[in-house]
Amino acid sequence: MDSSAAKTSFRFKLQNIFPKRTWRSLGIFFALLGPGIITSNVDNDAGGITTYSLAGAEFGLSLLWTLIPITVVLIFIQEMCARMGVVSGKGLSDLIRERFGAKVTFYLMILLFFANLGNTLSEFAGVAASMEIFGISKYISVPMSAIFVWWLVVKGTYKTVEKAFLFACLFYLSYIVSGFLGKPDWSEIGSAIVTPTFSFHPGFLTMVIGIIGTTIAPWMQFYLQSSVVDKGLKTEDYNYIRLDVIFGSVTVNIVAFFIIMLCAVTLFQNGIKIETAKDAALALAPLAGKYCSWLFAFGLLNASLFAASILPLSTAYTICEAFGWESSLDRKFTEAPQFYGMYFLMIFLGAGIILFPDIPLIAIMFYSQVINGALLPFVLIAMLILVNDRRIMGKYTNGPVMNIISWLTVFVVIFISGAMVMTSLR
Amino acid sequence: MVVNSEPQVFLFLSQILGDNVVDDNGTSLGKIIDVVASLTEPYPIITHMLLKGAQKKPFSLPWQRVNETGGNFVADPQYIEDFREPVLQGGELLLKDTLLDKQIVDTDGAKVRRVNDLQFLKARGYLHLVHVDVGFRGLMRRVGLEKAMDTLSRGFFDYTPHDQFISWKFVQPLSSPDLLQLKISQNRLAQLHPADLADIIEELDIHKRTAVFQSLDIETAAETLEETDPKIQVSLIEDMKVSEASDIIEEMSLSEAADLLGDLPKDKADDILMEMEQDIAEDVKELLSHPEEKAGGLMTTSFLCFTPQVSAGEALERIRKEAEDMDFVYYLYVVDEYEHLLGMLSLRELLVASPETALSELMDTRVVSVSLDEEKEEIADHFAKYGIMAIPVVDETNVIQGVIIFKNLLDVVAPHLGK
Repeated sequence: MDSSAAKTSFRFKLQNIFPKRTWRSLGIFFALLGPGIITSNVDNDAGGITTYSLAGAEFGLSLLWTLIPITVVLIFIQEMCARMGVVSGKGLSDLIRERFGAKVTFYLMILLFFANLGNTLSEFAGVAASMEIFGISKYISVPMSAIFVWWLVVKGTYKTVEKAFLFACLFYLSYIVSGFLGKPDWSEIGSAIVTPTFSFHPGFLTMVIGIIGTTIAPWMQFYLQSSVVDKGLKTEDYNYIRLDVIFGSVTVNIVAFFIIMLCAVTLFQNGIKIETAKDAALALAPLAGKYCSWLFAFGLLNASLFAASILPLSTAYTICEAFGWESSLDRKFTEAPQFYGMYFLMIFLGAGIILFPDIPLIAIMFYSQVINGALLPFVLIAMLILVNDRRIMGKYTNGPVMNIISWLTVFVVIFISGAMVMTSLR
Repeated sequence: MVVNSEPQVFLFLSQILGDNVVDDNGTSLGKIIDVVASLTEPYPIITHMLLKGAQKKPFSLPWQRVNETGGNFVADPQYIEDFREPVLQGGELLLKDTLLDKQIVDTDGAKVRRVNDLQFLKARGYLHLVHVDVGFRGLMRRVGLEKAMDTLSRGFFDYTPHDQFISWKFVQPLSSPDLLQLKISQNRLAQLHPADLADIIEELDIHKRTAVFQSLDIETAAETLEETDPKIQVSLIEDMKVSEASDIIEEMSLSEAADLLGDLPKDKADDILMEMEQDIAEDVKELLSHPEEKAGGLMTTSFLCFTPQVSAGEALERIRKEAEDMDFVYYLYVVDEYEHLLGMLSLRELLVASPETALSELMDTRVVSVSLDEEKEEIADHFAKYGIMAIPVVDETNVIQGVIIFKNLLDVVAPHLGK
């Protein structure tokens, strides 16, 4: 008797702590999980990892604090996209086309195509660089990865692809592990995070711009919104999606934190200059051990492959949606020629250009960042106009506080990307 | 061919929008921002143009009061009318707002398209909306690069680009739910096959999907739902009132209805079952109790069953009455009074038999049947081996439980086909 009473009361207590609803909510959360986390993690692509490594190696811990405001901005921007996707049931390029007409959309899509092509190129460059650390020539690794990307997306269904992508997100843990292998001094890092340091040294400014530019890229808004729409999420699910977005934005910056930190406590403290993520991985071996170096390279490979699978797909999808062309992996080639054509072209050019012997990679990556920077303000302004349009969003438009914060954010981002474009053109 | 004394003059909406309208002295009244068309059959006629001048509010001008010569619009300001959007009468449409850059259904090609431009035919002083432009050339015209693109493709590929027009007769606008109601325009979606409708619904966004689906009559809705992807089925039904949903589900074939109800959240499914006609609900519940991937979950209980002493004539008579509501009528199953399966015959055999012959003489006793828990692969093997259209399902004591129709199995064995 006693024991059964104890059991009931224990169960009763458990139910109090975790009412049935919590379990159900958790279940729903995991079912809806995906768009936000995947988008954010793709964001830590080859370009991102390179920028973070350089930031750590050149400026030590002094840039760590920027990750906190960046996380906040990322959450704000992504939340708006996710909300638009849920409420309107339409992708961003669809909304842009319907609201701003054919002409604006056309030029925006051309810019987006080239910006994303540049990004894809740098992803394949990341594949080549990371595989070279393991001693595999780019003439083998790049074509193989292009075929892999094609196969994964064309042969898979949305569900399997999403699962594969979520699984790939786990590999970002390799950066956290390698971060610990660098044996950091935590108290020093703690104080670096909470004490913002700023310098008007042009190199420092460029690096801040670089970090923001690589974290908030135009393609993300399109990709996030379409994947929210694709999942058929409804307004009732909105709170979970917001969680997904916040969770994604935070994890992405945790990874960034570990990369900057690792490069700061190893490369910066030993005064080692690097130019690429590959240099960083190689330079890590004598300082933090070869496992650390391998993990770093493996993380780069994973990030590059991951982003290379998503970018061409997202581009083809976005552009076809804007122009009303069939865009679905469920269609056959003849039914959606523009879609497959663009998808193929992105992979073919992205991987093909890397294989040229004397390709000026750093310059290409740099200019693709410039196009990204030039495109971003337009995308953000369009987003803010759309998210405040009652005919589209009904009662889910931005509130006044949200609007002030988001316009401020947008102005800062516009200023920064404008500065980036200007400095690069000089 | 249209016999007409005046030459056929076509005009695109993109050529009108943004044009200046001036008065007799050449002073600008405003720019054209939209046109109002009245939805006359077969082709809508432009009745007004909407202008935006110096003042904040747009105003309208009757099309008849505007003189157009060589692309210049001249009007007398005295005809200016106030424009308030809600005043648009039934059967009137703002063309740019509802059509340009929006999605429509091409009911001829059974596809969702995006509108790049609208083409008007000028006849007797009026502009008639005749075509919707969904082609690349239309897009280039909007961007302002039509000529450049034409020259480019002719020069490089020796290819003259042509327009991709859809006649207004085959256009179903989607941008506002009103347009799907019968009152304003005839709902052209009814011309589509349910399987095509299902494809179109799958392609639309959540809101349009629901709007289109709810505009269909019950029978079409049920047929369409059967062809739709299970995930979308669920989302469509969840958006509906229980009473409407139950009406549609009643019209679906039993096995499809059971699959759908099985996918719905339990509460919703129970509510719908409560609302459905008693006997159909009972049958569906029965089917729901079997695992979906096995014989019991694939079968339907709506089939023809006769006792052996029934004559061919009597059987035909009954079929004539009941076939309408049956999921499957091409085979007749013969059972004893305890519903033990004795034999079967096809509808063809019944038709050629003389009316007074008893079914016991006509039936084939070598019936291939499967048990309730048979796996789908095994069932598929049976279909392949015996080349039949349906397989009866029996319990351990050979009592008939239902019939698996080939189509239902196909959805499970080869889900990539069809749907």
